[in-house]
Amino acid sequence: MRDYKSGLFLGFSLVLLVAGLNMLNPYFSGRIVDDVVYGGKIELLWVLLGFMIAVTMVKTVIRYSFQLLFERTSQRVIFTLREQLYARLNELDFRFYDRTKTGDIMARMTGDMEAVRHFTAWTTYMIVENICVLLFAIVFMFTIHAPLTLAMIAVTPVIAFFAYRMSSEVRPTFSEIRAQFARLNSVVQENISGNRVVKAFAKEDHEIGKFSAENKAFKEKNIQSARVWEKYLPVLDSLAGVLLVVMILAGGFMVIQGSLTIGELVVFNSLIWALNNPMRMAGWLINDVQRFIASAEKIEDLLNEQPGIANTLSKKAPAVSELSVQFQDVTFRYEDEPVLSNITFGVKPGQTVAIVGPTGAGKSTIVNLLCRFYDADSGEVKVEGMNVKEWDIRSLRRHTAMVMQDIFLFSDTIEGNIAYGMPDATMEQVKMAAEKAEAHAFISKLPEGYDTIIGERGVGLSGGQRQRISLARALLLDAPILILDDTTSAVDLETEMRIQKTLRSVLQKKTCFIIAHRISSVKEADLILVLEDGRIVERGRHEDLLKRKGRYFNVFKNQFGDFDSRQFGEEVM
Amino acid sequence: MARNKFDVDEELESAFDINQLKRMVQYLKPFKGKIILTVLLMLLASGATLTGPYLIKTAIDDKIPNGDVGGLALLAGFYLAAITVTGFCLKYRIRMMSQIGQSVILQLRKDLFAHLQTLSFSYYDSRPHGKILVRVVNYVNSLSDLLSNGIINVITDLFSVLVIVGFMLAIDVKMTLAAMAGFPFLIGFIFFIKTAQRKAWQQLSNKQSNMNAYIHESLNGIKVTQAFAREEENEQIFREVSNSYRSAWMKGVKIQFLLWPVIENISVITVSFVYVTGIFWLNGSVTAGELVAFVGYIWMFWQPLANIGNFYNAIINAMAYLERIFETIDEEPAIQNAPNAGILPPIRGEVTFDHVVFGYEGEKNILEDVNFTVNPGDTIALVGATGSGKTTIINLISRFYDTKSGSVRVDGINIKTVTLSSLRSQMGVMLQDPFIFSGTIMDNIRYGRLDATDEEVIEASKAVQAHRFISEMEEGYETEVNERGTRLSSGQRQLISFARALLADPKILILDEATSSIDTETEMALQKGLEQLLEGRTSFIIAHRLSTIQNADRIFFIDGGRIVEEGTHNELMKKGGAYSKLYLSQRRALEAG
Repeated sequence: MRDYKSGLFLGFSLVLLVAGLNMLNPYFSGRIVDDVVYGGKIELLWVLLGFMIAVTMVKTVIRYSFQLLFERTSQRVIFTLREQLYARLNELDFRFYDRTKTGDIMARMTGDMEAVRHFTAWTTYMIVENICVLLFAIVFMFTIHAPLTLAMIAVTPVIAFFAYRMSSEVRPTFSEIRAQFARLNSVVQENISGNRVVKAFAKEDHEIGKFSAENKAFKEKNIQSARVWEKYLPVLDSLAGVLLVVMILAGGFMVIQGSLTIGELVVFNSLIWALNNPMRMAGWLINDVQRFIASAEKIEDLLNEQPGIANTLSKKAPAVSELSVQFQDVTFRYEDEPVLSNITFGVKPGQTVAIVGPTGAGKSTIVNLLCRFYDADSGEVKVEGMNVKEWDIRSLRRHTAMVMQDIFLFSDTIEGNIAYGMPDATMEQVKMAAEKAEAHAFISKLPEGYDTIIGERGVGLSGGQRQRISLARALLLDAPILILDDTTSAVDLETEMRIQKTLRSVLQKKTCFIIAHRISSVKEADLILVLEDGRIVERGRHEDLLKRKGRYFNVFKNQFGDFDSRQFGEEVM
Repeated sequence: MARNKFDVDEELESAFDINQLKRMVQYLKPFKGKIILTVLLMLLASGATLTGPYLIKTAIDDKIPNGDVGGLALLAGFYLAAITVTGFCLKYRIRMMSQIGQSVILQLRKDLFAHLQTLSFSYYDSRPHGKILVRVVNYVNSLSDLLSNGIINVITDLFSVLVIVGFMLAIDVKMTLAAMAGFPFLIGFIFFIKTAQRKAWQQLSNKQSNMNAYIHESLNGIKVTQAFAREEENEQIFREVSNSYRSAWMKGVKIQFLLWPVIENISVITVSFVYVTGIFWLNGSVTAGELVAFVGYIWMFWQPLANIGNFYNAIINAMAYLERIFETIDEEPAIQNAPNAGILPPIRGEVTFDHVVFGYEGEKNILEDVNFTVNPGDTIALVGATGSGKTTIINLISRFYDTKSGSVRVDGINIKTVTLSSLRSQMGVMLQDPFIFSGTIMDNIRYGRLDATDEEVIEASKAVQAHRFISEMEEGYETEVNERGTRLSSGQRQLISFARALLADPKILILDEATSSIDTETEMALQKGLEQLLEGRTSFIIAHRLSTIQNADRIFFIDGGRIVEEGTHNELMKKGGAYSKLYLSQRRALEAG
């Protein structure tokens, strides 16, 4: 907020000015009534009307300017907030995303932002304006006639009391509305993202049911809030009306007594809105303030969310083209569930490590620790002899190019997707990466080639095609460490063979991690780790492992068993 | 298929259409009674409030000069009664306003959501999901104020204007006419800014949609972004997206804020005009009290007029959202039930493709003349290079797309003649990429058949070898998972999705690369169980693993959108065609190890 000080200061000054100007017209009206209508000084009419029109013009121009000023300021506030939130979301680690629904974050970035916008653009100056108008009016009235003014503002404490009560009652309802808004967001968001599953299982009615429950709850929460308004707003409104009663009674009495002129009473009458309106507005403004607080808290929570993975003070970013990797007695748990236990191994620059093992054995976790998507609970993960925690995170990740198991492509062109990690890559570079990933051929066959826009999550492409684009995306980086997590599972064997052939030359210069199920993908590795339940149960080269006739051998046999079981009876080994 | 991405504004096809407002009003119809009652009460309330200036006029002109304290007290009492009535009316109005507004929003959102369920893949595939989300959630919310406050206010204000004019006429006809002089200027101005304003708000809704889409996609792709350390680049893009939203907003409000100052200036000039006419032209015929009261009414007259102007503003603004909402509701589902679609009776599982041709509109055909009949209970493996059309064939069985020509029949019934839900609910489809809903693992598997018991869920998990890893998790089947989460590995997701498909107990089972991320040992174990599970079910399997393919009853080798070879593994091997070549080359590749 500090950055907006000067803007807000100017804004509030203009608000004050307008509030002051607002006092002038009733004064001129009073003069017209007193001097012209009753006093008969007709020559004054033109002057007074001229003033009235001039004041209005000036006032409206100023008002327009400060409204825009406040809008601009509020847009700057939420622009900055959004920017900060977005940056924060980029920093937050996987544990955060594991427990937070997309819909909930969307609610903060949209609905809650809107509440903040409304507050800064409108509520703030309305509050200041109303307070100013109220104070000016009171001061002005005092100078005209103190006793009548006192009589009239006697109701204020009562109004304050009810306003306070309302404020504390309405607050929790706004928190509930926004929480429900987040739930509604989530249920719709998942329905859209999961639309294929919904249709495949013909669960549209179930989805409508799920949605309707949240939709109804959203309505109920809103009505609940309105119940509080219903209780207090009419009271506040009526109390504001009481002012007029006081004025007629006390003012009239005073005129009859002779302590007040009729012209003065008319001035009071023309100023009464200045007391009335702020009091009427009080309830609505309180609503806005409470709505703002409920939303601002949630935005602040997200802003204050600390990433579990962050740079340490020593963050280093060595620039090297070849990197070694060591895992020393690494243990990792997810919540209380052991995922990796005592993992120790080392890779020299340029070597290839393959990790095999059953689903859920912890293979992907090893590379996730290497890229520091999670931190090990104990033990050390070192890249080029330095603990990954000491690396600058982004630099570390730039040194590791990763093809993920769970492929995500963006709704962008194919070129944009391949160049995701290197936005300034030339078309030539993109094509070259695509060729290495055996993707160039099918991309060129598409009507729009590299300019084809692919849908979110890469819909429109087959699994194998997506894997190859994702591989091209990683290859483009030319990073010293390459991680291939189940990269070719959906690619047919023939294509895979070709990919392996081209990769062979790429891999020679890089430290490489390959996670795969097919023996054919891993057999050339310098080191094969067989993982089971988070432990390395076997390690060595392909030939060594086959000789051991352990797990790896079994897997190998199984995959070749395909051939043995049919007409190919001969030994394959 | 033309696809939209986050930074491309979605073109709106329709011009300003008053019918959309009429349609909106349809949503208000069920509340006609309540609206009328509320308006009547509000009129009563504003009538009560309007007595204010009249009471003051009486006080100033009559009671005070006469020193009539009793009369004053009576006036005060009268007004006190009036504000009490106003209070009660306001209370009722707040209640009705929230009920009507929220009910309409509820209904509109429900219609929109329900319609979205009927739209086919192509709708979802052709735009960022964030752009759909923003319509259902944020756009609908933007209408809530207009529908609750707006409608009631504008009706009340219209009546207020009439009542005030009535009061004014009662005081003096000529002065009333003088007071109306500013009116044409206001109307003129409103029409003048209309076009600019409509454009500005449309622009804004587009920018809002773009921004939402970008945030949404950023969240879904966060892992890739972090892995590629592309945060700064994305932050720059977001800044631009966010900035164009801000500019659109400012453009909109610049126009919108003009209305109020214009009204205020017109009204002050009108008041001056009335003073002048009252004093000079009508000299003598108007009393001072009348003139004061009259001016009081003019101020009151312009207030509701300004409100009506604002309402008009709000409508223009709402139209930008309304257009989008109705556009979605009007979106014709590419795949829909035929007008007289019947219910597909419980099937045996025979599947026939009869001269099936398929291709997207205006693009090369993906399938050319595909013909086959699969007997109930058979297992079919579809083999072929990536992009040869395997997935397309199975998508046609579930009628995710419609054929260009030819027909797909299940048990001899053309699937276009039966309802989608009766067709799809008899099939179990395991998609290429499994989707995990946020919730427990139990809920995710149960999605296949909602009334399945816990035991049945566990049974299905055991059958697909998922039980072990699930029960090893801290909270077992009650473990909370979500789509983006890293709680589950890809293989585990596939197993869950597999269990989900099996639980549905389908007669036709479709497995599209269902086991690609599952390790060989689990798959072997899975296969043993699978043989039993596949019994009595027709199944279509797309896989690259040879073991899966070999065990199939028939193999379809697909190339260039046609079935070029078919038969059992042995038959195809004997034939020595494309399949055997593929098989042998793979075998050689493996042997090389």
